[in-house]
Amino acid sequence: MEKKRLDDHEAATISSPRSLDRFGFLVRPDASTSDGLVKSRSAQFERIREDRRVRKWRKMIGVGGSDWKHYLRKKPHVVKRRIRKGIPDCLRGLVWQLISGSRDLLLMNPGVYEQLVIYETSASELDIIRDISRTFPSHVFFQQRHGPGQRSLYNVLKAYPVFDRDVGYVQGMGFLAGLLLLYMSEEDAFWLLVALLKGAVHAPMEGLYLTGLPLVQQYLFQFEHLVQEHLPKLGEHFAQEMINPSMYASQWFITVFSYSFPFHLALRIWDVFLFEGVKIVFKVGLALLKYCHDDLVKLPFEKLIHALKNFPQDAMNPDILLPLAYSIKISRRLEELRQEYEKKNGKITQSRELTEEQTVQRL
Amino acid sequence: MGAYRADDDYDYLFKVVLIGDSGVGKSNLLSRFTRNEFSLESKSTIGVEFATRSIKVDDKVVKAQIWDTAGQERYRAITSAYYRGAVGALLVYDVTRHVTFENVARWLKELRDHTDANIVVMLVGNKADLRHLRAVSVEDATAFAERESTFFMETSALESMNVENAFTEVLTQIHSVVSKKALEVGNDPAALPKGQTINVGSRDDVSAVKKGGCCSN
Repeated sequence: MEKKRLDDHEAATISSPRSLDRFGFLVRPDASTSDGLVKSRSAQFERIREDRRVRKWRKMIGVGGSDWKHYLRKKPHVVKRRIRKGIPDCLRGLVWQLISGSRDLLLMNPGVYEQLVIYETSASELDIIRDISRTFPSHVFFQQRHGPGQRSLYNVLKAYPVFDRDVGYVQGMGFLAGLLLLYMSEEDAFWLLVALLKGAVHAPMEGLYLTGLPLVQQYLFQFEHLVQEHLPKLGEHFAQEMINPSMYASQWFITVFSYSFPFHLALRIWDVFLFEGVKIVFKVGLALLKYCHDDLVKLPFEKLIHALKNFPQDAMNPDILLPLAYSIKISRRLEELRQEYEKKNGKITQSRELTEEQTVQRL
Repeated sequence: MGAYRADDDYDYLFKVVLIGDSGVGKSNLLSRFTRNEFSLESKSTIGVEFATRSIKVDDKVVKAQIWDTAGQERYRAITSAYYRGAVGALLVYDVTRHVTFENVARWLKELRDHTDANIVVMLVGNKADLRHLRAVSVEDATAFAERESTFFMETSALESMNVENAFTEVLTQIHSVVSKKALEVGNDPAALPKGQTINVGSRDDVSAVKKGGCCSN
């Protein structure tokens, strides 16, 4: 009957096509604007501007990314500025692979992904299957039971715990993988996940998922202090109401804003996140609190928790939120807080160093 | 501190946690109880979620502050902090997956390690609408509940069966523990964010939070 329920449900979605936003998410009839674009600009103006940006970007990265490294070395500030304005959607998948270092991993490890998917089994397979339909359930690509979206999501999520049994499968990874799969192939998505968790360019993020979720705890510690320092009035209000960041911000870090934020905003955050690192997650978090500060400081416990999980539409407009986030300077303090946390709790140990040799040896 | 409480009228505030394996339906039980909603398209819970609802028990308004937690083992690093101060728990398994029932004992131990001995626990066999897929018998679950002195009910968040009853029973039981005992003002370190903490009887008793009033001074 469970199967029947699902089938009925599926039939309903297929036979009565609901409208989709430009990213492929079902638009709820009550939702006013799906992607929060600035309405006053004419669509034509937007298109011309977008075309111009794409041309600039194509020139910057070269055919298939051939000029990328050269350009990055020569003009890192231009790259940074352009990424902060948003990577053109049609180039996003390719650029993400270039800036995350995943393209290099893929080239160094030919055939490895296939091996992981086809020949090895993971103890987490049942857990993964259970979560597949619970990952971006409102996206057209992942909706169809056993459809191509769900299959590729399953493969990537199964391959990772085979690749690294210490990290294994942890709920939340699916949202990372799902987001990536909307912009690249399974194999590319897998290597990007490896690049992030093993730290190809930035500090490794696997501590978000290791036993004890040590990096989540560290990030929450850092975030709580940053709130107190940057928004002292709100920090005090949180303390009084006994609100701690694990109540609202763990999802922000564990899924890098992909769990419950509007997709167009998540993408813009990911552009910067892949290039500049996890710092942007802290900055966006602080910017959200700053933007809503005057409302938040008035709310009692329960309403406060609700507000922290349901930010208003205008707060989630990337063209307002991101500039606010960029204006918050936290680098030095973030590092000091990391050291402070490590002194108290010990260093987070990596499960396994990422080297080409080891990656290949495992097979 | 209490200015806003005027519009939030309750006599007691009880903290309740929803625990159990991943995918047993905790979040849908919560949304069914607090918003009368059920979704086949719900996402896995990452971290913790929170909702409240007030009900009438005898002539008192009892407000439940319910924490819904991620079920995957690894998340206990975050979620077990939320057991603290809970006076009630719904320990949920899926009647169609026996392994989720086998894990109930571990959840119970974890819960009892982190909470007051008198916490009211309701064992909940969810997805009872899937009759032909049943893998856990009512007898087995009843026997377990008797052995462990917990309450027991089967529910279906999908069909809205027994969900109201399960939560109401937990809240009623907590209320009866609280009102049975002679009240004695105390300062419980596990106090909830708002309201006056009342310790009932010895320190082993269920701690509940009562809105400021007769007993606060």
